[in-house]
Amino acid sequence: MLVLALALALGVTLGLLTNVSVPVAALTYLGVAVLAAIDACLGGVKASLEETFDDKIFISGFLTNTLMAAFIVFVGDRIGVRELYLAAVVAFGLRVFENLGTVRRLLFSRWGWE
Amino acid sequence: MGHSRPTPKDALIHLREESAKRLSASERLVEQSFNQARLVTSLAVGLLLVGFLLVAQMRGQATFSGSLERQSDQNLAIIIQQLTAENNVLRTEVARLQMRLLEAGQATEDRTQLLSEAARELNSVSMMAGLEAAAGPGIVVTITDPERVLLPQDFVRVVHELRGGGAEAIAINAIRVTATSGFSGGGGRIELDGTTLARDYEVIALGNQNNLAQALELPGGLKTTLVTFPGVTVQVAAADELSVPAGSAVGYSIGSPVEDE
Repeated sequence: MLVLALALALGVTLGLLTNVSVPVAALTYLGVAVLAAIDACLGGVKASLEETFDDKIFISGFLTNTLMAAFIVFVGDRIGVRELYLAAVVAFGLRVFENLGTVRRLLFSRWGWE
Repeated sequence: MGHSRPTPKDALIHLREESAKRLSASERLVEQSFNQARLVTSLAVGLLLVGFLLVAQMRGQATFSGSLERQSDQNLAIIIQQLTAENNVLRTEVARLQMRLLEAGQATEDRTQLLSEAARELNSVSMMAGLEAAAGPGIVVTITDPERVLLPQDFVRVVHELRGGGAEAIAINAIRVTATSGFSGGGGRIELDGTTLARDYEVIALGNQNNLAQALELPGGLKTTLVTFPGVTVQVAAADELSVPAGSAVGYSIGSPVEDE
């Protein structure tokens, strides 16, 4: 757990240090992609707590979810349904909260707080 | 009998089972820790990416919010109003500065005109006064007087006739005839402004060659009169490249100028 928190902090510092800024045109794409990445990481944590974690599933899920999310936004832009990104946001948002709830319950049972 | 002491064979079997058990346990442990490492590594990499992307996204969003696209209609209206007011102020400023530029240009023009007028006047005055050397087309009048019969007033007449013919500058034997010049002398000597002129007088007059020549060679004119004196010859020749020296300026030493007005 400590390693994971450190990794997240390292990513944030790296972002701050490299001074990378997303171009305005790509903002929506990356926004949804980031949401998908957060969802994938929470899913990974959940799976590791349930002891069903498989790194192949995690990595492939991470990549396909982020790319797919960006692709959905792209398609929405192309076919004139700009609000299509809302579908991705709702779907990933729901999953994030679901995963968060499961992780919370698993942690509680592991620490014996139930 | 076998219960009291284990036979060496039994001991060996037991040892083998024990080591097999420990081997599988350690293999499980290795596998477990390997799995654990893979889990942590992949999750850590994922989270690292998430953190990095989050920061990049936030920074992009911050620049986007600052841009005009994100402003509300009301804010945009206010911004437009402000910019319009600013534009108007600047436009007024531009007009004011253009006016000043125009005025300054006018003043400069006036001054330039005044200056050039003054320069023109100075030119004509110094030309009249003969203060500057001059060059140009004109005529050369060569007068010989071997018998010394010519008088100063004959030269005064020569100068007057030339001036009547429109001479702009006159010099006799390389001495400029100015507005204050005078001829004097007697007994066959001719002096111009106190300098005795050598014989074979050479009069140079700048101006229209025809008019000057006519002024002297008119029938019954000065040339006709002069050549009636014994020994006197007058030759008039036109030349294109003549030059006369500058005269000396004469200031007031006894009188003083009177300013009118």
